[in-house]
Amino acid sequence: MSDNSGLTLFLDGEEVGFTRGESIFQVSERHQKDIPTLCYDERLEAFGACRLCIVELEGARYPVASCTTKAEPGMRVTSKSGRLEMHRRVLLEMVVSENREVDVNELAGYASQEMTTLVDRYDARTGRFAGGKSGTSRADDPNPFILRDYEQCISCYRCVRVCAEQEGDYAISVMNRGFDTQITTEFGGLLVDSACTFCGQCIQTCPTGALADIKALRAKDVEEPVEKTRSICPYCGVGCAVDIMTKGDRIVGIQPAMDGPANEGALCVKGQFAFDFVHHPDRLKTPFVRNDHGQLVPASWDEALDKAAAGLLAAVNEHGRHSLYAVASGRAPNEAGFLMQKLVRAGLGTSYIDNCSRA
Amino acid sequence: MAQTNQQLIAEYASQEAPLLPLLHAFHERDGYLSEEALRATSDGLKIPIAELFGTVTFYHHFAREPGGHLAPRVCTGFICRMNGAEELLESLDGATGMPCSGRCDEPIPVLRGKQTLVGTSADALEPRDTPVPPPSADGVEECVFAHIRDPARKTLEGYRATGGYVALERAVRAMTPEELISVIDDSGLAGRGGAGFPTGRKLRAVLDAEGGPKTVVCNADEGEPGCFKDRALMDHDPHALLEGMALACVATGAERAFIYLRYEYPETDAGLAVAIAETEAAGILGDDAFGSGRRIKIYLRRGAGAYICGEETSLLNSLEGAHPFPRNRPPYPVTHGYEGTPTAVNNVETLSSLPPIVANGAEWYRDLGMGEHAGTKVISLSGDVNRPGNYEVPLGLPLSELIEQWAGGIRNGYAIQAVTMAGLSGGFLAGDDLDVTLDEASIRSKGSFLGAGGIMVFDETRHMIEVAHSAMEFFAEESCGKCFPCRIGTQRLTERLAGDAGPADFTMWLDEVADLNLTMKETSACGLGQAAPLITESLVRYFPEVVRAHVAGRLDDE
Ligand SMILES: Cc1cc2nc3c(=O)[nH]c(=O)nc-3n(C[C@H](O)[C@H](O)[C@H](O)COP(=O)(O)O)c2cc1C
Ligand code: SF4
Ligand code: SF4
Ligand code: SF4
Ligand code: FES
Repeated sequence: MSDNSGLTLFLDGEEVGFTRGESIFQVSERHQKDIPTLCYDERLEAFGACRLCIVELEGARYPVASCTTKAEPGMRVTSKSGRLEMHRRVLLEMVVSENREVDVNELAGYASQEMTTLVDRYDARTGRFAGGKSGTSRADDPNPFILRDYEQCISCYRCVRVCAEQEGDYAISVMNRGFDTQITTEFGGLLVDSACTFCGQCIQTCPTGALADIKALRAKDVEEPVEKTRSICPYCGVGCAVDIMTKGDRIVGIQPAMDGPANEGALCVKGQFAFDFVHHPDRLKTPFVRNDHGQLVPASWDEALDKAAAGLLAAVNEHGRHSLYAVASGRAPNEAGFLMQKLVRAGLGTSYIDNCSRA
Repeated sequence: MAQTNQQLIAEYASQEAPLLPLLHAFHERDGYLSEEALRATSDGLKIPIAELFGTVTFYHHFAREPGGHLAPRVCTGFICRMNGAEELLESLDGATGMPCSGRCDEPIPVLRGKQTLVGTSADALEPRDTPVPPPSADGVEECVFAHIRDPARKTLEGYRATGGYVALERAVRAMTPEELISVIDDSGLAGRGGAGFPTGRKLRAVLDAEGGPKTVVCNADEGEPGCFKDRALMDHDPHALLEGMALACVATGAERAFIYLRYEYPETDAGLAVAIAETEAAGILGDDAFGSGRRIKIYLRRGAGAYICGEETSLLNSLEGAHPFPRNRPPYPVTHGYEGTPTAVNNVETLSSLPPIVANGAEWYRDLGMGEHAGTKVISLSGDVNRPGNYEVPLGLPLSELIEQWAGGIRNGYAIQAVTMAGLSGGFLAGDDLDVTLDEASIRSKGSFLGAGGIMVFDETRHMIEVAHSAMEFFAEESCGKCFPCRIGTQRLTERLAGDAGPADFTMWLDEVADLNLTMKETSACGLGQAAPLITESLVRYFPEVVRAHVAGRLDDE
């Protein structure tokens, strides 16, 4: 079973190796075949909805979806042919025919350009297959984070699957059947009344901008280009990697880094949406100390640290070392936590230290 | 006293496949599925509420408004429309339509809660027993219909008096699974639910599959328009099905089996429940079949209105209480079926054929067919024929003979224009292609297939665009919505057949429809989306002038 040596198949005529359990799509990806997809998110179980990833398999009457078909020894796979490209184009023309707007602002979300890019690659804005549109938007959902414009939805169910498989929140699901399918919450209600934690995962996997980042879109009319800077979320010790989106010198939004080693594309509501403090007028930019009249006044770090040290020492001298108790921030990484306990144990001489998640 | 939420949940939570029966219990108790009932179900069965809500909305018979359970549902399948279903629907207070509900050989069916009435006007609706199949022509020998016209056959006593349960007793006491399967293999029996997979091979695959427990599932969803054979078998010969399922259990080593029955057959549901109880009480089925120590437990589960739940993997999801999208295959149910266990999913007719085959031998069954074709097939014949009904024909019988000799020819002396095959899934046959014999080889050579054996007949006065539109509308309404080509394609084809959308230029119209047809057929994820375009493909092939006039008519409208 676990012997993976020597497993090969033929991909576009070339013999290539694979590992048991890999899908034909995964093998093809490793060989830069650039097979188009819309319902695929590598973090999720392959679903097989969009059918764009079809490949021809020798011996099979019809093409098969490469995302849901496991590689088998000796398979003969064709990843690109006239027939496949014809189907892919027709599929994309069908998708365009049920959408109102194909161009989406890149601030909408991490994957928001996927559909537009493919439609352009296949030259599929032909106006063919015109007809009814599907999807009812919840423009009235008052939540400040997630735009729910289901008129742009193509029913790839990535949002539902990421919410269930990655987040374990099961806040959203699929309602009705066929052309009437609709992404919904329990009883069609608002996100705030559902199990949603506003982690934003659904936004970031949506390939059409039907789900979009309301906060980032505030800056859609700002002229400057979007720049992305890799960083680490400042909120907790997990250390989720983020790409901070800026226009000029202002942060306009956050996107999870799909290759972040700690989070693999996941974030929580704080890392995803809580960045307004950065440009907030009330934000503290220097330490404050109390003056002789008890008022808080700005001070330098040296002043502030001296004052804190003096206060701590005074307390130890007056009431003994166990009169102090330290609470370390849950946002502190391991290194900071270590330094904190060093300060408390070695510096102040007490073992009264805990973490804010428990204190 | 009605049971409380907690009592109902306690009753069902520990059972196999609890979601559907629990929802039905709430539906019947309250007259609809209230938010409170769904929240209680979510808590009780540990199904996230959003998911449960989405799943409930998938089924068209679960009412979400008070009183909805008892509101009349009128069949608006095409045959019933020809009989005036739309007028009847108008005249009934609070009525809604439902797709073909498997009674095309009767007046229009109206479902009210757990009762089916039939009739053609609001003041003349009455309950009526399922029609007994017309006698076979010239006494041709039958398999599953051999005893069906004997009124006593419904009862355990009557069934046993005509040789019932002899095959099972022999199999339980004296046959190995391998011996049993080789009889079935040799008989040439293939699936009668649509796909025609060799039954012996399927059972062997389950027997040989690693892991367990093994499971047998009887597909009694019979959702294909124009098919009503399984109901006749279950209503008039229910024990034959139970015995067939038990034989499949012995062949595969399964101890549990399910019947997944379509919602529209409430009387059948009641009849099967009685039959199961009788056989368990008699010690034939249950924990100790024939005192052999073998457990064969049959559970009866009722669907809630969704054609796709007849597709075997969608059915399995439905049984498990999951959203009924079809699953990706491979793996197939024979290795990864109900709750991931090796499962044989078989049609009612397939399973009901097993007892006579085991009792009379493989040779006997093979010889029932004509020429090189093995065995028989039940055809549900409806539409413009003098004697619509279920006919068990020898495979290889010419279609014309069935229509002319067996069913008395076309009504009112008209000429035949077209027939559908496989219910609707095989599209149309017309013109010279009506000269086929009833077997897969012959019908597949015309680009269609026999499938479950529903054949609707249309005479020369019928408007083929209307027929095709109604067929495509059915597929669009029943598409599960999982894959793009089917979800969008069935909608686009329906619009083009309705004349609501699409190019006004004939060549461009044909071009769009041909592209939709081909991409749906070759890239859809399951049989529904692969079969639906056969309707438009065959329409264009056989009736190009009618299509041209339809498209030109659109131009005139503009
Ligand atoms: C859309 C769709 C609907 C189906 N509906 C039914 C049905 O109602 N009853 C049935 O027996 N098989 C139905 N089938 C076929 C089943 O998937 C499966 O092949 C069959 O139950 C296997 O049993 P058999 O081998 O005895 O025919 C359907 C298939 C598709 C694609
Ligand atoms: S924000 Fe997170 S929890 Fe809310 S619906 Fe989207 S994925 Fe689910
Ligand atoms: S909202 Fe976006 S992710 Fe969700 S199904 Fe629609 S297109 Fe896909
Ligand atoms: S072909 Fe149609 S019914 Fe089948 S999986 Fe796709 S959408 Fe669902
Ligand atoms: S990526 Fe395979 S079907 Fe969408």
